[in-house]
Amino acid sequence: MANLTFDNVTKTFQDESGEIVAVEELDMEIRDGEFLVIVGPSGCGKTTSLRMIAGLETITEGDIRLDGTSIRGTGPQDRDIAMVFQSYALYPHMTVRENMSFGLKQSTDFSDEKIHDTVTEIGEMLGIPELLDRKPAELSGGQQQRVALGRAIVRDPKVFLMDEPLSNLDAKLRAEMRTELQRLQEELGTTTIYVTHDQTEAMTMSDRIAILNDGELQQIGTPLECYYEPNNQFVAGFIGEPSMNFIRCTRDGNVLSTPDFDYELSQSTADTLGSQTELTLGIRPEDVEVVRNPAEPNDVAVEVDVIEPFGKENNLHLAPKTRNADDTVVATIGARTKVEPDSTIGMRFPEEHLYLFDGEDGTAVRHPTAEQEELAPVLK
Amino acid sequence: MQLLALVQSITGESDESLADRFEGVSRKHIIATVLTTLTGLFYLSPLWGGISTAFKTKSAFINTVPLAPPPAGEITIQPWVVAWQTLEPALWNSLIITIPAMIFSAVLGSIAAYGLTMVDWRGQVALMSAFIAAIFLPKQGILLPLSRFWNTVNIQGILESLGYFTLPFAHESHATLLTLIITHSAYGISICTLLFRGYYLTIDDELIEAARIDGADMYATYWHIILPLSYPMFMVVFIFQFTQIYNEFLYALILVGGSDPSNGAPITLALAELNSGFSQNWNNQMAGAFITAIPTIIVYVLFGEQFAEGVKY
Repeated sequence: MANLTFDNVTKTFQDESGEIVAVEELDMEIRDGEFLVIVGPSGCGKTTSLRMIAGLETITEGDIRLDGTSIRGTGPQDRDIAMVFQSYALYPHMTVRENMSFGLKQSTDFSDEKIHDTVTEIGEMLGIPELLDRKPAELSGGQQQRVALGRAIVRDPKVFLMDEPLSNLDAKLRAEMRTELQRLQEELGTTTIYVTHDQTEAMTMSDRIAILNDGELQQIGTPLECYYEPNNQFVAGFIGEPSMNFIRCTRDGNVLSTPDFDYELSQSTADTLGSQTELTLGIRPEDVEVVRNPAEPNDVAVEVDVIEPFGKENNLHLAPKTRNADDTVVATIGARTKVEPDSTIGMRFPEEHLYLFDGEDGTAVRHPTAEQEELAPVLK
Repeated sequence: MQLLALVQSITGESDESLADRFEGVSRKHIIATVLTTLTGLFYLSPLWGGISTAFKTKSAFINTVPLAPPPAGEITIQPWVVAWQTLEPALWNSLIITIPAMIFSAVLGSIAAYGLTMVDWRGQVALMSAFIAAIFLPKQGILLPLSRFWNTVNIQGILESLGYFTLPFAHESHATLLTLIITHSAYGISICTLLFRGYYLTIDDELIEAARIDGADMYATYWHIILPLSYPMFMVVFIFQFTQIYNEFLYALILVGGSDPSNGAPITLALAELNSGFSQNWNNQMAGAFITAIPTIIVYVLFGEQFAEGVKY
């Protein structure tokens, strides 16, 4: 049980071409018992951040504190942390029991009996008591995953570090393990830092999400905060599946002009905006409404370009009739709404669901207003 | 009929072409079999000639061609007895030198490879280059410095001052044997390091990191993780080093200075002694050559499977 603080942490690597900044001035506080997911695209510095906590990478500048004590410069063995690796990294020549005992033998002076009992207990907790005498090569991917988890849990560390632990599992097993991991973490209450590139894992498992891009922290917040109140266009585009639609536009008073259509904002919304004229309009696919014919002022006539059926819903790729922009707008509609391919329909962006971002640096200028009221009854 | 023709044109096959192909395959097959057999016989003929000569009496190997089997009444095992009597003490010397040197060079090579591959420190590239360069040092080039070195380092004197020669099993020749063990161990470290390094580079880094996080220090990681995983590579290195050291001639010749087993001469020197002299006793020499080869054959048979496992990585 511990809290963990990143204090202005920078990590640079030396390369033939010069200095590469992997993590830049990262400030972040992970609370005691929290499940924090660090998410971002490949090369965003998320794994490097995790490895700095583990002591597998040095800290170039700044400090990482565990329960207020700096761990900079100490070896991994002195940090009281456990890590689950993407490849599981089980010792192939040892049985499951030996794999799980190794850490206790190396880092504690527990008696052999105590180690034996602890390992048996954790094995039962993970539902793998019958596997304890097998070698890793005799186990399935899912079972190896459990052993890797068990090896971390047995140590009863201050912090769990997990580096994309579910990425080698098939989709069904991954969903199962996601739930199981969440359950385990709640049961154990151990501070957990989990790295992934999968925003679904981030959304479903975490207490809070930290979104990294190019080594910089974009936002840290609860899944719903990141979803409904993204700090910037990157976070808005990264969180949510399918991704948010972005359309570049120019503002003139109340009117947003995109290459294909004009969108007129209400006076109250326009008043909240600053003086920027270059903006990016954002709307989530599930908020795009589809109507038979464009009837209202802000409706746009679109052609149905592609239909992706998902069973419970369909994703429509809509192309404005004028076709000045290359990108289509994705709309998610119920599976029972009948839409013909290549037909012409109307597309509507409800203003209460509209996001606006600065056209230059992507900073969020406006968040949707609808969510608070809509969510309130559910959250009670 | 048209359909059949269509199918044949698509698959490019007809009754005739199938027959042709079958014939072609079997003709190729026959040629291959004949060639393989001839090549096999060609390579086996010296071996056969050797075995057959080793069982012949003196008059038989003078009067018959080497490949002919021993004539009736002239079969003898006397050459094997003579060869064994000459070589036996030298064989023990060889094993006393080879087995420890093989183990030392493999263990030291493995430790060096671990330090040069899996532990990060300054200057390891330079040191690795030195190891690689040592592999290419020609033996002849270091003969002189080697013998000068052992003239300066008086192993005999060191053992004496330690009181070794008062022990009941101690023998004068042990100093020479120890000299050869140390020389072969040292000479073998570089190639062993290279072999182990190649293997260690294939071991997942995350395994080492997992061990570090589990609280193992550098030594514990080697002892508990790397060493057990090196088992197949140890088999490769053992076979390789056994053959190298057991068959070695030049260092033994320089450092022993004679072919007398009681001075510590290994079997290669004793075999050379058996082959010299005015009258050529081919039967004794052939029997001696086979006796000399037996330990390496045993090693290959015993560890061949693990060897194959080790070179598979």
